[in-house]
Amino acid sequence: MTDPMHTHRGTDALIARLSRQARPPRPLAHPVRRALGWAVIALGFAVAMVWAIGPRADLVERLGDARFLFEQGAALATGLAAAAAALALTIPGASPLWRLAPVVPGALWLGTLSLGCLRDWWAMGADGLRLTPDPACFFYIALIGSLPGLVLYLMLRRGVPLAPRLTLALAALAAAGLGNFGLRFFHAQDAALMVLVWQVGSVALIAALAGLAGRGLLRWSDPRPA
Amino acid sequence: MKTAQGRTDDAVALEPLMMRAQSGDGAAYHALLTEVAVRMRRLVRRRAPWLSAEDTEDLVQDILLSLHQARGTWDPARPFLPWMVAIARARLADNARRYARRAAIDLAAADLAETFFDGAANITEATVVNMMTVRKAMGDLTPAERQAVELLRLREMSLAEAAAVSGSTVAALKVAIHRAMRKMRGTLWKE
Repeated sequence: MTDPMHTHRGTDALIARLSRQARPPRPLAHPVRRALGWAVIALGFAVAMVWAIGPRADLVERLGDARFLFEQGAALATGLAAAAAALALTIPGASPLWRLAPVVPGALWLGTLSLGCLRDWWAMGADGLRLTPDPACFFYIALIGSLPGLVLYLMLRRGVPLAPRLTLALAALAAAGLGNFGLRFFHAQDAALMVLVWQVGSVALIAALAGLAGRGLLRWSDPRPA
Repeated sequence: MKTAQGRTDDAVALEPLMMRAQSGDGAAYHALLTEVAVRMRRLVRRRAPWLSAEDTEDLVQDILLSLHQARGTWDPARPFLPWMVAIARARLADNARRYARRAAIDLAAADLAETFFDGAANITEATVVNMMTVRKAMGDLTPAERQAVELLRLREMSLAEAAAVSGSTVAALKVAIHRAMRKMRGTLWKE
């Protein structure tokens, strides 16, 4: 039979050790504010990548196209909302409604692309819905999302892993969403079905894979006393 | 000092301690962690009585370490208790996986609201869902098993007291509670 006082002594020692480390912690800003700070880094990296790879030849024309702008706006909003949601999920006691933040912009993104598919089919018939392999999308989205993903991961580690799988899936959605946003400034592929399958599909795949790795990558740090 | 409706005097006392702890006051932090440890130990013992003293202290220490890790995430403008409860819930759930005792630890997690809160306005949606899940799991029990759970787990009677109240025997109650917990564990695992 274990002496309860003996086991308490371990906890008392832990409390004494922790209270000696009561340095004032650096407070965390609001998740939206942190997400905006992250977006500055992510967009800066995306601009650098577009500049390095070379913008698409018809970029000026595309910037005057309302459909392109709407799709890009929805992708950007989805990424930002997912980043804020991921950051909020690492704050104990934050509203669980945060996890729904990317739903509306995400639905707008998917909705506008789905409508685009219908318009392409209406305008060009079966040719408008032709699906050809474009695996480079996955590579470019992962590349442009890599640094923002890493930065966001480090930011998440300042919080705690209350829901690690969902948190990391949302963070990857944010990074890959921004990656897709950057991709379309140099990758001349605007057929809605192609964008939906290869680009949004890549974003979803990256988010799903990150979600599976969530428990391994976001862990509580439990340094036991020696 | 800002106070929220429905909070207990004990609960109010933790916020100033945490505020002082966040400004680097080691004595206040010591007092806060000691108080949290006492509450958590009581909770774990009540809800998972089969755990050894070492396992109970492991759980308490996990929660304290997690509080320490998370202390930068507490915003003094927000109440302390929902923040603390969210951490404890997460750690109890993690440990439930570790000990493969998910059903009973989930009961403990659901009960956190009762331990820290006394106002209905403070019960989080997650706790409500947890309680609904537990209630649903209880729906699958026989009347005798349900009575055993109510007397032994919810009203926290001893076996002898529960036997006297129910008119049953200690041996029959032991069998009923064992079967009930096994069934509820099965139901909660599916949730």
